[in-house]
Amino acid sequence: MSQKSMNSLINEFLKQVKNKLPNWLKDKKKEVKDIIAELEEHLWEKAGELSDIDQPTEDSVRLAIAHMGTPESIAKEYKRRGTPKVYITEELWPLYIKVLKIIFLVIIAISIVSIVLNILTGNILEILSIANLMPYFAVFTIVTIIFVVLSMEGYFPEDFKSEKELRRKKLKLEKAQELGLPISPKTGKPLKPFIHPTGEIIGGIVQIIIGLFLMMLLIPGLFDLMHLEFQSILRIFGLLLLTEGGLDLSRGVIGNYKVQVHQVIHLITIGVKLASIPLVVFLWMRPEIFPFFNWDESSNTLIYVGVSEEFYDLIRMIMVVVIIITILVPIEDVYKIIKLEKYKIRK
Amino acid sequence: MALIASKEFREFVEKFESEINRGISTLCVLSIVRQSGSEGIYGYKILKELEEQTNDMLVIEEGTLYPLLKKLERDNLIKSEQKKYSGRPRKYYFITDNGEKIYNHITGYYTKLSEAISPLIDISVELKENYIYCPNCANKIDISKEDFNFCEICGLNIQDLKKKVD
Repeated sequence: MSQKSMNSLINEFLKQVKNKLPNWLKDKKKEVKDIIAELEEHLWEKAGELSDIDQPTEDSVRLAIAHMGTPESIAKEYKRRGTPKVYITEELWPLYIKVLKIIFLVIIAISIVSIVLNILTGNILEILSIANLMPYFAVFTIVTIIFVVLSMEGYFPEDFKSEKELRRKKLKLEKAQELGLPISPKTGKPLKPFIHPTGEIIGGIVQIIIGLFLMMLLIPGLFDLMHLEFQSILRIFGLLLLTEGGLDLSRGVIGNYKVQVHQVIHLITIGVKLASIPLVVFLWMRPEIFPFFNWDESSNTLIYVGVSEEFYDLIRMIMVVVIIITILVPIEDVYKIIKLEKYKIRK
Repeated sequence: MALIASKEFREFVEKFESEINRGISTLCVLSIVRQSGSEGIYGYKILKELEEQTNDMLVIEEGTLYPLLKKLERDNLIKSEQKKYSGRPRKYYFITDNGEKIYNHITGYYTKLSEAISPLIDISVELKENYIYCPNCANKIDISKEDFNFCEICGLNIQDLKKKVD
């Protein structure tokens, strides 16, 4: 029995296995090479064992191939990948939803443009047509079928990425783990930094400087001219600004760690921001203390002239706008407190 | 006519057996890789060991072993290393630290499950004395080797349990 015919039997079988492998695996040349080499090694050893003469024979090679199973059954096992979830695997599900969202958004944008055009051309019947919904059904069906097939073939989202990209992501993940940065429990990827420490530190310092400037009323020539009550308001506002700056600065110093501490700081910041509302309300009640100056050319100095009564309503209106803005600004902090929740779980 | 001759019966039984075997095969393969220690073991030898140690009862279709090993490797339960043997490359498998932990946990769970269902299927399960099982997560802990006082899977304090066994 020739070695050549035994080689050809094994090579033919391995070629069939290779052809039946799922496409995501075929793209990984080194892995395919390893799989085939391992199967080949197995076949030769099994053939040797099944042979009466301790050396592979054509019959024992055939028998070893039969023991191995069909190329289809081997390939099927490689496709058995992923956690089942309504015909689309759990691993592919986020990508499926993402693709649907993107395509639907594009269709919605096109639909809006088409509706506007139809309104402009007076074609109202076209807008109400049921046919407008057809693209949604068609896209949903096509995308779903594609993802069901991909799930059956055992595809994972990473199979659509190049090896270079996967290596880069792996390095990023390792670096994040090394630094103890939070990793998403959902995707297993490192979460983006939730603050830019440098920005927070610079912003904090600027706020502290302005706060100190206001608290100490550092330009006596200007501030001394103001109403005493207005000076007090400026001092309190300076104190609040200084506190807010200090909180921002501390968040910058902590950096992307200690999530719970960040949440507490945000909570305190909300209180500090809202604390300025009584000051604005006071100004709304006493518009007459609002400073207004004129330049006196004879003495070359500023002269306090106060606010004319006719401007009181204007000042009150401005104060109402300021109060509304002050109430809205802390929403950012509330959003950040909620967002930070997902950074609490670490792998 | 013997029941086994019925196609319907055969199909049902084969499907049922295949469902039972799937998880057990993975556990047994992991166990054999674990037994090989630092020497490692290659695919064909795993099958031979499996046949031998289970008295030919648990037989995996040969071609399906490699996808299973690949999956275990991808899940970081085992790792592999290529070595040359008689001029051919041969892939040796080793259990990882993570694989060891998962193996202990799964065997613990499986053991306690077998013990629990034993009255239902009329068998008796005798647990070996050199292990304790975490009451919280069923992790199998070898008391002759381990000197920690907490379950390494769920963190439960097992000092009292260890004292009782001692």
